[in-house]
Amino acid sequence: MKKWAAATSVFLLCVLPLLAAVGCELNDPDRDVKRLFPHSTGYRTIYASILGKGGAALMQQVERRLGDSFKGLFETADVPYTLYRIFRGQETIGYIHGVNQKGRYGGIQPVLALDSEGRILAFYFQKLTNNHARLLRAPEFGRQFIGLNLRDFDGYDVASGRSVPGSRIAAIRNPSPKAEDDFRATLRAVKKNLILCDEFLLGNRFLAKEPDA
Amino acid sequence: MKKLSIYQIAAKNLLRKRTRSALTVIGIGLSAWVLASLLGFNRGYDTALKKDIDNMGFQVLLTAKGCPYEAATLMLKGGTGLRYMSESVIADILAQREVDSVTPMLMQAVFDPDRGDSGAIDAYLGIDPATFPGMKSFLKFKQGGWFTDPAARVAVLGYEAAELEQREVGDKMLIPDKNIELTVVGILERSGTQDDGTIFVPIRMLQEEFGQQGKLTAVGIKVDRKADTAALENRLYDLPDVQVVSMAQVKNTIMSLVATAKVMVLSIAVIAILIAMVGVINTILMSVFERFQEIGIMKSMGAMPKDVFRMIWTETIILCLLGGALGLALALGLAQVTDLLIRRLLPYTPTGRLILIDGPLMATTFAVVLGIGLVSGMYPAWRAARVRPLESIRSEGD
Repeated sequence: MKKWAAATSVFLLCVLPLLAAVGCELNDPDRDVKRLFPHSTGYRTIYASILGKGGAALMQQVERRLGDSFKGLFETADVPYTLYRIFRGQETIGYIHGVNQKGRYGGIQPVLALDSEGRILAFYFQKLTNNHARLLRAPEFGRQFIGLNLRDFDGYDVASGRSVPGSRIAAIRNPSPKAEDDFRATLRAVKKNLILCDEFLLGNRFLAKEPDA
Repeated sequence: MKKLSIYQIAAKNLLRKRTRSALTVIGIGLSAWVLASLLGFNRGYDTALKKDIDNMGFQVLLTAKGCPYEAATLMLKGGTGLRYMSESVIADILAQREVDSVTPMLMQAVFDPDRGDSGAIDAYLGIDPATFPGMKSFLKFKQGGWFTDPAARVAVLGYEAAELEQREVGDKMLIPDKNIELTVVGILERSGTQDDGTIFVPIRMLQEEFGQQGKLTAVGIKVDRKADTAALENRLYDLPDVQVVSMAQVKNTIMSLVATAKVMVLSIAVIAILIAMVGVINTILMSVFERFQEIGIMKSMGAMPKDVFRMIWTETIILCLLGGALGLALALGLAQVTDLLIRRLLPYTPTGRLILIDGPLMATTFAVVLGIGLVSGMYPAWRAARVRPLESIRSEGD
């Protein structure tokens, strides 16, 4: 028993630092890519950070586009983002990207699958802790995001949660009024996710038409 | 006419064959580098491992027999398999004279259906705010501090846990299934230990909310520094239905795991030193043979055998001093690269610096290299000292 205990301890000492890795990577990229892009033939993983791609200037630009500042201990310029470029043969057919977002009771990880033009093809939560998580994780909720792109979020104020009446964002329904915090956190995360994809993957195709750009 | 000292003659002799001398210095330098790195690794690994084990806060962990005593094991077992012991075991432990202090712990796990695709296990470690922080005094806070009320609905998060959950002081957490809302009161700084991924909550609260009053899953035991830990462990085994996890055992197991690697590296160092020795002997011996007549002339002009011996020996020592300095510079300059390489090779490496090179270690390396030089130079110097002037002069043109 002594030997077993010691050996287990060694094992734990070895594996714990590995388990400790934090980031918003897909839980199982091979499986998730195939599920989100059934016709894909491969994917490439891209690692990027705001600090590495453009430093303070890029941080300011992302915050301006988001309409909110990055907050807290963990939403910083050096956060490593993991993006997936999806291929069919040599052709890029889309992207997958998830971000960490502070929710009411824990970290939220909304994941987006985008087509090559930056339009949302699929939305789901990889992680969400809430009493009403079941409603937010329901496919019906995720389907409301399909077809949206960053342009649709132009009038959405992530700080106040206000959207332009009649806009596609205003049409997104919160399935659980008691989970309003996480609903708004989700919209902020989706907008942030789309901005980062535009910056890191799409060559800022949605930036040109911004009024102050 | 300027009179040259024996050291100047030795230096000039070495400069006559610059490439050969430089290659010999490089050979000695590489050997010194390996030696210094190996000695530094021996010291650094032991120090880092000791620090890691000290950072666990206690030297002995007592758990209920068959109970997974760490969160990771619990995850691997899917949150099942918890075994409990009674809180009364603390009195039995404190009765042992070797025990300095104890801290009770209770681990509980719940299934979070909303984590990932098919849910995941969340583990909570219930700790006693009166004793646990004292044992883990090395833990520093990024925000907030330890809770003081053992029954409060609060939590302290390790850095990785806080990062994953995006929590800060004042934020709420939910224990899924139980629907218990906790307030985060502290975020720990990164410690490089398993505490980084742990959610700490008050033990009394956890016992009550999970219906485990009076039960523990583990007791951390801090042993008196001068006490015999092995004797204590043997007596703890006499307690019913407990298992003893000794950090000394952990250290020994890890040390035995790396011992093979150490022997391998030591062998390489010995081989490198032998090659360097042969290189030095070869270089100096060739230099002696090439200067056969020259040495004969020196002797015919009045140089004594001890002068010739000293001159040749000095050449060897100069080579070794230069090689030693080069080796130490390499060892110091490339310590981080060596550190990275070792981390890739070994099955487990502790946190902290693995290569510790300080003054005494540098002096030891230098002394070893110099000793090699002195020994290696003896034979060529002896051969040179024995040169007969007439024979050597006659051999000219042979």
